[in-house]
Amino acid sequence: MTGLVTGWGVLSAAGDSVTELLAAVRVGAVVGVDVRDRFDEPLPTAQAPAIADFDVRRLLGRKGTSFLDRATALAMVACGRALADGGLTPDDDNRHRVGVVLGTTTGSLKSTMDFSRETLVQDKPYLVNPVLFPNTVMNCASGQAAIRYGLRGVNATVAGGPLAFLYALRYALNALRRGYVDALLVGGVEEYTPNTAWAAELTGAGPAGEAAAVYLLRRPAPGLTGTPRAQVLAVATGFQPEPSADGLAGCVRRALATAKVRPADVWAIASGELDTDSLSEVVPAAAQRMSVRPALGDCQSATGALALGVLLGHYAEDPAARGRPALIVGRSRDGAVAAAVVRG
Amino acid sequence: MHRVVVTGLGPVSGIGIGVHEFTDGLRSGRSAAAPITSFDASGFPHHWAGEVPAFRPEALLRRLRVADWGRSALFAAAAARLAALDAGLSLPTTDPGRVGAVIGTTSGESTVVEQLTAELVAGGYPAMSAEALRQAPAERLSYAVSAELGLAGESVTLTTACSASNYAIGYAYDLLCWGEADVMVAGGADSVCRWAHAGFYRLGALTERACRPFDRDRSGILTGEGGAALVLETLEHAQERGARIYAEVLGYGVNCDAHHMVAPNEDSVAACMRLAQENAGVKPEDIDYISTHGTGTPANDLCEARAIRAVFGDRVPPVSSIKSMLGHTMGAASGFGAIATTLGIRHGFLPPTINWANPDPELSWIDPVPNTARPATVRVAQNNGFAFGGNNAITIFGAIR
Repeated sequence: MTGLVTGWGVLSAAGDSVTELLAAVRVGAVVGVDVRDRFDEPLPTAQAPAIADFDVRRLLGRKGTSFLDRATALAMVACGRALADGGLTPDDDNRHRVGVVLGTTTGSLKSTMDFSRETLVQDKPYLVNPVLFPNTVMNCASGQAAIRYGLRGVNATVAGGPLAFLYALRYALNALRRGYVDALLVGGVEEYTPNTAWAAELTGAGPAGEAAAVYLLRRPAPGLTGTPRAQVLAVATGFQPEPSADGLAGCVRRALATAKVRPADVWAIASGELDTDSLSEVVPAAAQRMSVRPALGDCQSATGALALGVLLGHYAEDPAARGRPALIVGRSRDGAVAAAVVRG
Repeated sequence: MHRVVVTGLGPVSGIGIGVHEFTDGLRSGRSAAAPITSFDASGFPHHWAGEVPAFRPEALLRRLRVADWGRSALFAAAAARLAALDAGLSLPTTDPGRVGAVIGTTSGESTVVEQLTAELVAGGYPAMSAEALRQAPAERLSYAVSAELGLAGESVTLTTACSASNYAIGYAYDLLCWGEADVMVAGGADSVCRWAHAGFYRLGALTERACRPFDRDRSGILTGEGGAALVLETLEHAQERGARIYAEVLGYGVNCDAHHMVAPNEDSVAACMRLAQENAGVKPEDIDYISTHGTGTPANDLCEARAIRAVFGDRVPPVSSIKSMLGHTMGAASGFGAIATTLGIRHGFLPPTINWANPDPELSWIDPVPNTARPATVRVAQNNGFAFGGNNAITIFGAIR
């Protein structure tokens, strides 16, 4: 099961391109943006790896955007850019065959907690604003993106925190393989809010980051125009909470076997934060290691999507890397593991 | 391509915990509706819901430490444990990597998020407890299932709101069909919470005490909760271990309205039915029963009934809504629908739509199996699930041949 990456839409603290993303990850220092004026509420830090200058109205217009939460708006913008970059214009002939698969952690924690707070602080617990109710469901971003671009194909939201993008990628490959759709926007999105900032701070996962990265994934088919940026060859996942378990290494081996890629040929590994030890017996020591987190903070469900962006940045600038396979890997605190094999 | 069958059922619901109680609840038209106890609902004009007051996770779970998980994860894991027992699965299986879990949900760990909100209101953001923050991510629903049953295969939570269990069943079905797994536990879970209750009330979608789908005077949903799990496996795997087979998963379909976040869309719902039927290799005339989404709101039931007529023409099979008994269990809803459908096929009966009193002249083609379960031969049945975000998902089950 494979898919072709034919377009991208990437927004992060590092900028709006995979080139800037790669540059920031190479430097490896937190891309700090001044967030002090962003919210009325106090924040744990004055600077954070959040997206600067994101103007919803400028990017999406006034109509229908005033009640969007930030995560949803970011996802909508990233989806639009991935469609445009991939040269896919939804119309009445294709919109039933194009869909959206996004990763998430808790949806918009801010939207949900703000809504929930109203039930506690208002005179009556039901004095919530019903217009904001849809923002509390975790499929809000994918549903709104589908509405904006008129995409009626498979539409799914996959929870997985740090692994969400890899799960979404696997879900998308299945839908492509089964022939349910011809193209899918696949990505991950996390907003920076007081809620996520404090959550990361209080659980020791900080600093919280912010990003939306979405890719247009197409079914390999004759007549597909344009040069794909990369091919997703395989995704493997598993749940291995026991410390003794084969864990991530076994997952990587399965992904490579499915992709028919020899471990010795792996040229790079991209991840949130890499524990290279666990993969030292699988992947050559010479393979480049690229970690998103030191530069962009804890971007949760956008982490894997940023890792793919880093690889795409590499493939774009380095002709020698073209045609060589790379890995995106991740592990969650609960013991879930996932690995994707891509080739530029 | 492997055939996929249902071999175990695990309902944790307000009308029964475990397959025997649940079957009895469906047959007798039991109602879960009662005054809310899981939060202080005294300030709400409508304060009934379909809770599961008899849920004692510690009595059902063997491996999970209850304190480590939120209520929805516990619903999911308890349902999965019951389904695994019902399936007679020996755990851990010989190849745990070939067994996985896919769980659907609307609001994930909603009661954990509400606890965080209460802490925030009381003491500001820094007062949020780290343990609750660790329990809040929605992916922990499927992880709870995998951890409880010792499964090492794919473990994914699909958060496609109120059709999420059908998404989960469909994805699990695909993985089994394609030979990527031997056994998958699929279903959904959600918990009753203040914010959803408030949201549905303010949308004007909440009824006072009785949910009466397809009735002329239907007035909305009751919020509900629970966990629904099905053990799905390849036919060969089930036959090799001599498992009892309830029914076969024939296929499913998903699509998106791309129209409105909240209002259902008749054409899109009809298109989803056609997708599911095509995927399952059945025609409308093959279908003997539809377990509807049937929320009991005027808008949903009208939209759904019209879509059914558009697809089935003048041969509309009997339909019912088990939400009349359970309330709207959100992400678990189509999982309970799948369990009810499977039981109907296995035992030859149609679950009723309770609280039904008056035919709706606008839905003249609908036979809602009013109030009393009905004996019937069910060879093929369709299980509808729709959701906020326009996420439609429909599963189709058949008697094993």
